[in-house]
Amino acid sequence: VKVYVSNDSSACAVGAERVAGALSKLKDVEVVRTSSRGAFFLEPLVEIDTASGRAVYPNVQPDNVAGLLAKPAMPFSEITFLSKQQRFTFANAGVTEPLSVKEYGFKALEKARGMDPQKILDEVKTANLRGRGGAAFPAGIKWQTTKDAPADQRYVVANADEGDPGTFSDRMIMEGDPFRLIEGMAICARAVGATKGYVYIRSEYPAAIRKMRAAIGQALEASVLDPKTFMLEVFVGAGAYICGEETALLESLEGKRGMVRPKPPFPAIQGLWQKPTVINNVITFASVPDIIARGGAWHASIGTEKSKGTMPLQLAGRIKNGGLVEIPFGATLEEVIFGFGGGMPTGSKFKAVQVGGPLGSIFPESLLKTRICFDEFIKAGGILGHGGIVVYDHTTDMVDLARHFMEFTADESCGKCTPCRVGSTRAKEILEAMLRREGTPADLALLQELGETMKLTSLCALGGLAPEPVRTAIQYFPDEFKAR
Amino acid sequence: MTQISAILEKCAGSPPNILATLQAVQAALGYVPPESVPQIAHALGATDSDVAGVLSFYHDLRTEKPGRHTIRFCLGESCLATGCKASLDAVERATGCNLGETSKDGKFTLEKVYCLGNCALSPSMMVDDNLYARFTPQTVVEILKEHA
Repeated sequence: VKVYVSNDSSACAVGAERVAGALSKLKDVEVVRTSSRGAFFLEPLVEIDTASGRAVYPNVQPDNVAGLLAKPAMPFSEITFLSKQQRFTFANAGVTEPLSVKEYGFKALEKARGMDPQKILDEVKTANLRGRGGAAFPAGIKWQTTKDAPADQRYVVANADEGDPGTFSDRMIMEGDPFRLIEGMAICARAVGATKGYVYIRSEYPAAIRKMRAAIGQALEASVLDPKTFMLEVFVGAGAYICGEETALLESLEGKRGMVRPKPPFPAIQGLWQKPTVINNVITFASVPDIIARGGAWHASIGTEKSKGTMPLQLAGRIKNGGLVEIPFGATLEEVIFGFGGGMPTGSKFKAVQVGGPLGSIFPESLLKTRICFDEFIKAGGILGHGGIVVYDHTTDMVDLARHFMEFTADESCGKCTPCRVGSTRAKEILEAMLRREGTPADLALLQELGETMKLTSLCALGGLAPEPVRTAIQYFPDEFKAR
Repeated sequence: MTQISAILEKCAGSPPNILATLQAVQAALGYVPPESVPQIAHALGATDSDVAGVLSFYHDLRTEKPGRHTIRFCLGESCLATGCKASLDAVERATGCNLGETSKDGKFTLEKVYCLGNCALSPSMMVDDNLYARFTPQTVVEILKEHA
């Protein structure tokens, strides 16, 4: 009998490796190592084939595998966390073996090779695919700009410096379905006329680095990639959040300090080594194969008016069901947190939620009806960012959390803009004083003013948005700050 | 220094990449000796300050010999929301070092990191390349004992 166990690093961190080892010692059992479904709260998850598709055994431990397969498995449909999702980008998650070229297929790339490059680009435009890294810029416009820029060399770069705490969808693609990223990048390269590509992966993801390198090697070996037309390489970061900002990433890729460049010129015209460069997030590229295979109109038929397609949301923090939820844009935060996420664990009461990483706003309960799409979030005073959702419970001290955000910014600022470099340090000091109960009535106004200055005078989103979680924490939980 | 020379020969591509070179030196030696900066700069056709600038910019790059094991303890928001600070205290007590320090016996270097991408199963830390999840102040100390 065949059993499927994930080899995703999160799943292995709670014992999937040991479970797979124990299962492989059983008689007549063949263990297949797949990617993860992203239902991490059920890991280690063991799956088997049945007449009606896969069935599962959740939360298996190495010492209870004996006799496990004699028990009835749970039908897949009973796990509403998974069965209610609409998976496209993550269709292979938990199903396939990450490094099987044959299983993956590369059908979209094959189709793209028969298409005129401009036709590929037009499909991406029709799809209205917006960047999933945080800025939500239309990918088609970026690609067209690079294609139209006269140059002897163009580059395609995947931003896999997934630095926002609370996010892991890029990691899941790279570890679990690396060929999807490769395929998306190769299609882009054909569309814009690029012959060289890089995947810039953060060093905190050693398993993703290994998988991406192995996948590129296999794609070359299987002649899916031809090094003469498109050469793809992995470049490993060195622990700097700012390198998730596209211009800082390009500086880093060139081997320099990861300092933000002023824009314009935009990377699409002057990017890596000053050459036209398409730089997109991993999920953006991973969305491309389906757009080519099914057509741009298909993609544009999903989601809300201005946010098309699906969004892989990542549920984390104090929540019952932590994991990845891919659904069309348009659901409310409440539906995601209390529906898919199952709400709060026993003993915890909801206090606030932060969407969009450390630059995202703190939302109280009253904003839970906000719909998940780029524009509604901006209207509500926040950002959707890369889709990370971190839930905080009643034990969270908002002043200490605000201090954390400023410490993070002080640690991670590239230092180019004085308001970001110095402002974050000063704001951190003010909040530290408040935590020691040495705050003065002028402190809140000063914090506000520092935040405004950072926002107005920083080059990039780190300085510009870092004050937002602090501002919204003060706005929605003023008493905690006034009490200090 | 001869070990560095061998690495530099491989890294002096065109154009040379300072960051990749420093990463290669650190992979071989565990750190980048500050006195090797002029040698690296010379081999890459860069200035000392170019190389020193890159070396000081990235959190991963170190100029001192680390412990046998590196603990990367996550202080990202999801880990904070799930009470990682109590486990950090336990790690600091067990190793006798604070964030950014190496234990006296040379066994552990304790570093902070913002996110390991394991947020659905917070709190998280990495010991060398091994990821650990959902620990408590009690179990985190047991994990450290697995590392000799």
